Amino acid sequence: MAQAAPKAQLGFLGVVNVAGTGFVGGLLVTNQLGRPLEFQCTTPVKPNRTQEILYGPTLTSFVCAELIGKTLFERLQVKPQLIVCDQLEMLALRSVISLPVALILPKSAKAEEGTIRAGAHQLRLHADFVGDLEVLTEIAKSFPGDADLIEPLERVREALQETLRAGAAA
Amino acid sequence: MSGTSTLDQAQGLQPLGLGDDAIITCAAALTLNAPGIHITGMNSALQRPPMVSAEAKVLLNAVGFVPSWRPSWGKVRTFGLTFPAGIELIPVKPEEPGQEDASALKRIAPEKPTKEEVDGETAKRTKIRPPQDALSVQDRLFFLLQPPLENWLKGQELIMPFEPFQYQYEGIGWLFSQKAALLADEMGLGKTMQMITALRLLLRAGQVRRVLLVCPKPLIPNWQREFKMWAEEIPVTTVEGDGHRRNITWRMPGAHVLLANYEVVVRDYQTMIAEAIKNGHNLRDGLGRRTEVECQTFIDGEPVGQTFLSAQGDQQADKNVCPTGLSQPEAPCPLPQFDLVVLDEAQRTKNRDSLTARTIRSIPRRRSVCLTGTPIENRPEEMSSLFEFMGVIPPGANPDIRQLSQLSKEFILRRTKDLVMTDLPPRLDRDEIIELSTAQRVAYDAAEKEGIMKLNEMGDELSIQNVFELVLRLKQISNYDPLTQESSKLERLQADMEEIAASGGKAILFSQWTKTIDWLEQRMRPYGCLVYHGGIPTPKREPILTKFKNDPDSHIILMSYGTGAVGLNLQFAGYVFLYDRWWNPAVEDQAINRAHRIGCKSQVIVSKFICKDTIEERIDKVLNEKRDMFRRVLGEGDNTNASLSLSAGEIFGLFNMKARTPKGNKSIRPAAPAKDAA
Repeated sequence: MAQAAPKAQLGFLGVVNVAGTGFVGGLLVTNQLGRPLEFQCTTPVKPNRTQEILYGPTLTSFVCAELIGKTLFERLQVKPQLIVCDQLEMLALRSVISLPVALILPKSAKAEEGTIRAGAHQLRLHADFVGDLEVLTEIAKSFPGDADLIEPLERVREALQETLRAGAAA
Repeated sequence: MSGTSTLDQAQGLQPLGLGDDAIITCAAALTLNAPGIHITGMNSALQRPPMVSAEAKVLLNAVGFVPSWRPSWGKVRTFGLTFPAGIELIPVKPEEPGQEDASALKRIAPEKPTKEEVDGETAKRTKIRPPQDALSVQDRLFFLLQPPLENWLKGQELIMPFEPFQYQYEGIGWLFSQKAALLADEMGLGKTMQMITALRLLLRAGQVRRVLLVCPKPLIPNWQREFKMWAEEIPVTTVEGDGHRRNITWRMPGAHVLLANYEVVVRDYQTMIAEAIKNGHNLRDGLGRRTEVECQTFIDGEPVGQTFLSAQGDQQADKNVCPTGLSQPEAPCPLPQFDLVVLDEAQRTKNRDSLTARTIRSIPRRRSVCLTGTPIENRPEEMSSLFEFMGVIPPGANPDIRQLSQLSKEFILRRTKDLVMTDLPPRLDRDEIIELSTAQRVAYDAAEKEGIMKLNEMGDELSIQNVFELVLRLKQISNYDPLTQESSKLERLQADMEEIAASGGKAILFSQWTKTIDWLEQRMRPYGCLVYHGGIPTPKREPILTKFKNDPDSHIILMSYGTGAVGLNLQFAGYVFLYDRWWNPAVEDQAINRAHRIGCKSQVIVSKFICKDTIEERIDKVLNEKRDMFRRVLGEGDNTNASLSLSAGEIFGLFNMKARTPKGNKSIRPAAPAKDAA
């Protein structure tokens, strides 16, 4: 029988870069068991040539985190307690929102300082926000031990593909 | 710049940074030192460092670009959806170990970790796919963003007593997404469990809040039991009792799942429809389509007459139109409305003009699901009635075979044991060809001779009923001779039961007649015989099944096809006897599948008693021919379902006779030579 675990709401942020179309982002909020509560996604964001030159290697991080991630977060009606992502560039989102952002590390990653175990994964937080570790430790208590945090991100990407297909058909 | 280069090399001077114009001026003076210039008294002066001064000059024209750049991005446009809140159901406290009755049942899959989990591989996931009729992005995203069923059901939020099979996951996901669905899995593959689990998910996801489940009366306890096992947290309210109590139940708020039998639904809705029409409501069918609504009058619970009331014209349509449930909240409907209506054994509504089918279609609802292992019992057209209930064809439409086939692909999900249960123990059918005893043979021959003679004497007055009566008479003699009580079948049965009882096995025996069952009961007492047929009051039926399951001395249960053939789970029985044969192999298959279904751990031996050189042998041949013929209707893999009961012509044909028609005799089916029969 299910234990009465504390409730948590998690945000899963995914961005895909489609050649010729641009960056499309989606943010899915679920409860601690993966049930969807809200989903927000963007229309494609395509940097122009000047932006590509001037932002250089920081372009992806800026677009994914500060432009798309921040916008999606602000649109949410159901606010999560944690944003989970699997792209390093997304960690920069933490600088522009007041919520912990956790990066899912590869399975081969070992536990080290600044990382924490949650569900079936090792998570890393933004190095500049040391207080997030404590917050995440508390939230992680609500996860089932084998919680798969990658799977919701797959849902996000599948949903983004669907919106792109719908946009192309329209 | 060449001038600057010459200066640097010749004078070792560094650029002064005064701008290009200044440097060029300076360079022009120094080039006088170059070879080829006349040496004069001024040479020493020329070798002195020049006096250089700089001054700022205002450019004549402003520069043509902005010296600074501010990052500017267009507004990011977003699109989103919020998921409806589901019903919060209170989890049921776990029972003490050993207290749960289900512990005695067989798990359909082991609880231990799967191979994928052990190996660290990604376990298989069943995603809910959007239905074909979901056109908007929002609708499609709703389904795509649902978690895989394995995650949803793995014991975190919803407790599953047993791990479903992969095909069951797929069926659950399909039922979750379809607004109109016919789940036609072969008997024994777990339609009930799939439907209950889909209901759990629909309630949790806020897709339905009020559900009506209609089933044959004998199956009410079965559904109650299955709900308790698979979804204990869902309160199920059975519509029963006197009229006043039922009326309260129909309208009881907060009842998420109502369970009712067909007869109760027909009776109560007919009463409510009559009241609604009397009060000036303009009725449509349950999906809001204009159609004729039939009202039958009941007095003291008995039907006394029928009235056909047509829906009124369009001019009044928007005032008191009823129903269609939740899509028209502004039109208060006097009939109980549901988000979902589920018909179990939906073939009960195969005759679209029957009162049952008409009434069922009038139930206001948004989603419609049919469950049946036999979507076609007699004619492919029977599916039209189910499709009309599901709302996939207009009222009264008659799709042809090609259209039915197209609709089937979209709205019917059917799996057979051959396809999905490769590890289910085999079912071994054996035809027990039995010689009649001497006394039986004499009685049989005399009855047949006399019967045919009488039929021939009837001339044009001969009806199918007369022939049918003779068939029944001969079948009864094949069971046992009423005069001498002799029965070859009984002798065979007793011999088999000796072995079964000695080995601790259990057997189910089906017969068409309760009279035969009662006759057999006395003779089967040494084997702990139990009886289960329509004459047994409903409250007494469950204890009989429980005793049969748990009492080690109870080795046989005698059942009638009508009561025992559907919905019961008797997979602990390893033997099935068909003491006499039903007219329709689909019904026989349903009966056999009480034992041969998920959970059975050993092979099921099915013995079909057929008396040699009797009407039984002839009927068996005809049915086998028909089974082969209709195997094609639902696909090559379907070897059990599609079949026909005997038509009038075929019943006449059993005696090499021709069916009578108003225009004279018409041969419907010539008697097949024995060598051609299957």
